Amino acid sequence: MLQFTSNRAATSLLVWTLVGIALALPAGLMLTQANLSRLAADWGGRPGISVYFELGAKDAPLLAMRLDQQPEVESVVLTSQDEALREFLQHTNLHDALADLETNPLPASLRVNVAASLTADQLDAMAVRLRKENGVAEVMVERTWLERINAASRLAQRLGWVLGVLFGVGTVLISATTVRLAIEAQLDELKVMKLVGASNAQIRRPFLYFGVFYGVGGGLFAAVLLSLGLLALETPLRGLLGSFNETLELRGFDILFVLALLATGGALGVAGAVLAVRQRLFRLEVL
Amino acid sequence: MGQIEFHNVYMRYPSGFEALKDVSLVLEEGSMTFLTGHSGAGKTTLLKLLLCVTRPTQGQILVNDVNISQLGSRQLHYYRQNLGAVFQDHNLLGARTVFDNVALPLRVAGMGERDVGRRVRAALTRVGLLQRESLLPMQLSIGEQQRVGIARAVVSRPKILLADEPTGNLDPELSRDIMALFQQFNHVGATVIVASHDRSLIESMDKPVVELDHGVLLRGRPDGPPSSYDA
Repeated sequence: MLQFTSNRAATSLLVWTLVGIALALPAGLMLTQANLSRLAADWGGRPGISVYFELGAKDAPLLAMRLDQQPEVESVVLTSQDEALREFLQHTNLHDALADLETNPLPASLRVNVAASLTADQLDAMAVRLRKENGVAEVMVERTWLERINAASRLAQRLGWVLGVLFGVGTVLISATTVRLAIEAQLDELKVMKLVGASNAQIRRPFLYFGVFYGVGGGLFAAVLLSLGLLALETPLRGLLGSFNETLELRGFDILFVLALLATGGALGVAGAVLAVRQRLFRLEVL
Repeated sequence: MGQIEFHNVYMRYPSGFEALKDVSLVLEEGSMTFLTGHSGAGKTTLLKLLLCVTRPTQGQILVNDVNISQLGSRQLHYYRQNLGAVFQDHNLLGARTVFDNVALPLRVAGMGERDVGRRVRAALTRVGLLQRESLLPMQLSIGEQQRVGIARAVVSRPKILLADEPTGNLDPELSRDIMALFQQFNHVGATVIVASHDRSLIESMDKPVVELDHGVLLRGRPDGPPSSYDA
């Protein structure tokens, strides 16, 4: 089998690439979905409200103290105008532009983390109350973002499954076609093997190995594609998440994920090989 | 395994061509029989039926009282491991060496490599090709290729040896050598059936003859020993 494969290195590489792409797309989406879910879960664990004050308003510390005493509030984080400016400068390269401004353009803010048991209606009611407080310019309920992330997560999951089924069938067909070509190339040898007493299992076995070979190789290729993709997306993702005060910590792309990718590739490869062998070798029974 | 019986065997191909018509004959265990007839007489079809490459349209083929037409795929490969077959076009594997071609039936049967080496070299010695074991079939002459085919057929010491026109491409001297090989093999107990249209060769061997013509048995009686053929 190794000799047969090495004689057709270009074909093997092509099959690995095709299977790799077919596996990488749904696997990438599922990885995205898993991370979005985690992000949503982390956010969901601390639903909150951001309160932004008018420039120069001095009411933020007092409101922070009052909110901190309320039972439905877990914690309140006060960010003064100066602190907001420092954080902003840490994340941007706009030192020169800000130096030209006479006043600090960033408002003071409160990050109100509420109890997880708080319902959406209670959260909305609290936001309405906060909007009426002195010096408050804007109130943002983070639930909106949570809903968007959850919706995106659900979409990614559904898309992952749809693409998973489509590309899974594609992988089976790629494997089946390749194994079928391998069978055709060795048909004379197989006929002779049958005539000298080879069992069906003996005839079938090398082609099932072919299926595993192409499937696992494709899975490995998919893992490489995904890691390259993550490498390419790391910088923009870090910037995006940094703007939401989140740090980049992609989870899920670990050894278990890679092993699952290899196992899935191998299983789909074998399924294709079984299909091809059943179709083609059946006719060997009667020459 | 060795006695072969055909009972009212008919064989019609999907094209409608009737290759065998009501063929009944008995070939005793340990016999050597020639199968003769013109081209298209049904000789190859009869051998194919014995190899279970195809199944009869009607009738029974018994090998040691087992109806081989009804063998399942699992039994079929055990049956074939006890058969040796020599083909007119050799059916050698072009990408494998002489050694590997001859070793094929033994490896299929799961024999260890040490025994494979011993048995293959013994078979190649008998056909005079030991020095050519590492060559590819295309590097051999037609006669040598035929002898490789014979070595492969006998290497597993089958109980039945079938040969389809084994001397079709060979000169008379080589043909006699090959027939001598079949005879040696027959002397150690194998049932040998040789399909040939070479009448002079058949007559020189003084062995029982089964003659077919357009699928009909002309010579060869079903209920008697193979040596007592009707004219």
